Amino acid sequence: MRGSITSSAIIHAALLGWGLLSFSAPTPMDMANSESMPIDIVSDVSQLQKGDKKAEKKEKPAPKPTQKPQTIPDAQNIGDSETDVETKPTTETKPKPVEAAEAPKPSETPVAKPDPLPEPKPEVKPEPKPTPVPATEVKAEPEPKQEVKPDPVAEAINDVKPVPAPAETPKAEPSPQAEKPAEEQFKLPEKVAMPQAKPTPPAQTAKTPDRKEAPEKPKTQTAATPSKEKDGIADQVADLLNRQKASAGGAQRSSEQASLGANKTTGGAKLSQSEKDAIYALVNDNWNKPVGVQDYPDMVVRIKYRLTRSGELDGSIDASGSGGDPAILRTAIEGARRAVLKSLPFNLPQDKYDDWAQNDFTFHPGVNE
Amino acid sequence: MEDLTAVAVHTDVSLWGLFWQAGFIVKLVMVGLLGASIWTWAIILDKSLGYGRAKRAFDRFEQVFWSGQSLEELYRNLGDKRTTGMGAIFIAAMREWKKSFEKGARSPIALQMRIDKAMDVALARESDYLAARLTSLATIGSAGPFIGLFGTVIGIMTSFMGIAGSKSTSLAVVAPGIAEALLATAIGLVAAIPAVIAYNKLSSDAGKLTARMEGFADEFSAILSRQIDEKLPRT
Repeated sequence: MRGSITSSAIIHAALLGWGLLSFSAPTPMDMANSESMPIDIVSDVSQLQKGDKKAEKKEKPAPKPTQKPQTIPDAQNIGDSETDVETKPTTETKPKPVEAAEAPKPSETPVAKPDPLPEPKPEVKPEPKPTPVPATEVKAEPEPKQEVKPDPVAEAINDVKPVPAPAETPKAEPSPQAEKPAEEQFKLPEKVAMPQAKPTPPAQTAKTPDRKEAPEKPKTQTAATPSKEKDGIADQVADLLNRQKASAGGAQRSSEQASLGANKTTGGAKLSQSEKDAIYALVNDNWNKPVGVQDYPDMVVRIKYRLTRSGELDGSIDASGSGGDPAILRTAIEGARRAVLKSLPFNLPQDKYDDWAQNDFTFHPGVNE
Repeated sequence: MEDLTAVAVHTDVSLWGLFWQAGFIVKLVMVGLLGASIWTWAIILDKSLGYGRAKRAFDRFEQVFWSGQSLEELYRNLGDKRTTGMGAIFIAAMREWKKSFEKGARSPIALQMRIDKAMDVALARESDYLAARLTSLATIGSAGPFIGLFGTVIGIMTSFMGIAGSKSTSLAVVAPGIAEALLATAIGLVAAIPAVIAYNKLSSDAGKLTARMEGFADEFSAILSRQIDEKLPRT
C-alpha cells in the first residue's frame, strides 16, 4: 500500500506540475485600444424628432443639411438623392482607380453618351440625352475647366446618367441656382463621390442657366420620375450593395444646421399645460362624485383611455382606484368612467395627437378642486 | 470612457495563483480534495495490482491442487509459506483436519463442522482483505463533488461579498474569484470521477474473486467430507 501511495502522489505531483505550466496565466484580452461605443439614447418613441444622431444636441432637432433643392415633394428620408430611398447618406467614397483617366478632357463627350453600363439606373431614357449632352459639355469646357472638369469625367465614366441630372435641378427652382454656384463649386469634389442615384454634377447645374437648355428640361423630368418609381426597390438594393460610391440617402432636403434627433419624426408636439388642464377639467366637471367622498381625502382614482384621431374612444377605459371606503371607491370609479364617456368626443389639435392619444389621469375625488 | 484594464486589479490567474488567492476554507477544501485524489489513486493502483496478483495465485493454486498431488504433500509445501486467498483457506482447513485427526476425533460430523467453520473464518478474512478500502473509494466518489461544490459556493460568496464591498460590478473584479471558486469544483470532480469508476470496477472484481474462493471452499469441504467418511471408523 505504501508503494501505491507514493506512486499516486508522484503521479499527482507530475500532473500538477504540468498543469501549472500549461495553465499558466492566459494572455489577457487586449482592450486598451477599443473605441468608446456610441450609445443611442432611446426615449419615448412618440417623441422622436427628425435630426442627426451624431450631431450636437440643439434646441430644435434637425437632420444634416442637404445641398440640393427638393425634387420629391413628400419625401420622407433626408438626403441629396433623387429617389426617396432609406439608405443613410454617407460621404466616404473609396478611391476610384478610374480617376487617373481624368486628364484627357476631350474624350468626355463621347464617353458621356453611352448608356451601356450595367448599373441599376441606366434605364432612364437614353433618347433625350444625346442632343443636350454635346451642347452642355462642349460649352462647359471653355470657361470652368480648372474646377469643373474632374467631376464630369469621373461621373461620365462611372455613371450612365450624367445628362438627366442637370435637367432636373433646374426644374424645381431656377432662381436659387443662381445663388448657389459659388458654394457648389467648392463642394464639387464630395459630390462626385456620392452620385450613384442622382448624378447631377453641381458644376453643370451652375452653368445651365447660361446654356439655355430650357426646352429640353420638361422631357427629362417626366422621363426621370417614372423610372424611379419603377426601380425604387432595385435602386435601394443597389445603393445598399454598392459601397464604392457613397450613397446620398433619401430625397427630403434639410436646410438647417444638423442637430441631435432621430431618423424620423414620430410626433412630439406636446399639449400645452392649459390644454391638458382643459381635458382634466372637462372630465372632472362631468364627474358626478358620490356622496361622502369628501370624507376620504386620500382616495385616488386613476383612469386610462386611448383616443382615436377624431377624439373618440379607442378601446375601453381602464379605471382603477385605491383608498377610502370600498363601496364609495367603486362608485367613484364607475362615476369617473361615465365622466369620460360623457366628455366624448374630445376636440383637440390634430398635430398633437401623439400626445393626447393616450390619456392617464389621476383624480383625488375627496379633495375639492 | 475609462480604461477598464487600468481599473481592474492585475490578478494572477495561473493555476497556482488561483489557489494562492483563494480564501482559507476554499484552500482547505482544495487541499483536502487533492489528498482524496491521491488516496483514490493509491487505492486504485494497490487494488488493481493486488487483484491481478490474487487471480494469478488462484490459478496457480488450482492447478497444483487439481494436479493429483496428495493433500498432505501440498499442505507440507504450503505450510511454511505465507499464503493468501485459496491457499489460506486450504491451510486453515487442513490444519483443523490434522489437529482433529491426530488427536483421534470421535464424531465425523463434528469434525466436518469444525473444518467448515475454519474455512468460513478464513474465507471471511480473505474477502475482507480483498474488499478493504473499497468503501473509501465509494465515499470519495459520492462526497467529492459535494465537497468541491461547497468550496465553490464559499468562493463565490466571498467574491460577491467583494463586489458588495468594492461597489464595482466589473467582470474583471469578479472573474478571478469565480475562477478560483470553480477550481474547487474541478478538483472535486477530478477526485470523484475516477473514484466512482474504480469503485464499480474493483468491487465487481472483488466479488468475482470471493465467489471463486467460496466455490473452492465448498469443493474442498466436499473432498474432506469424503475423506472423513473413508478414514474414520464407523461407529
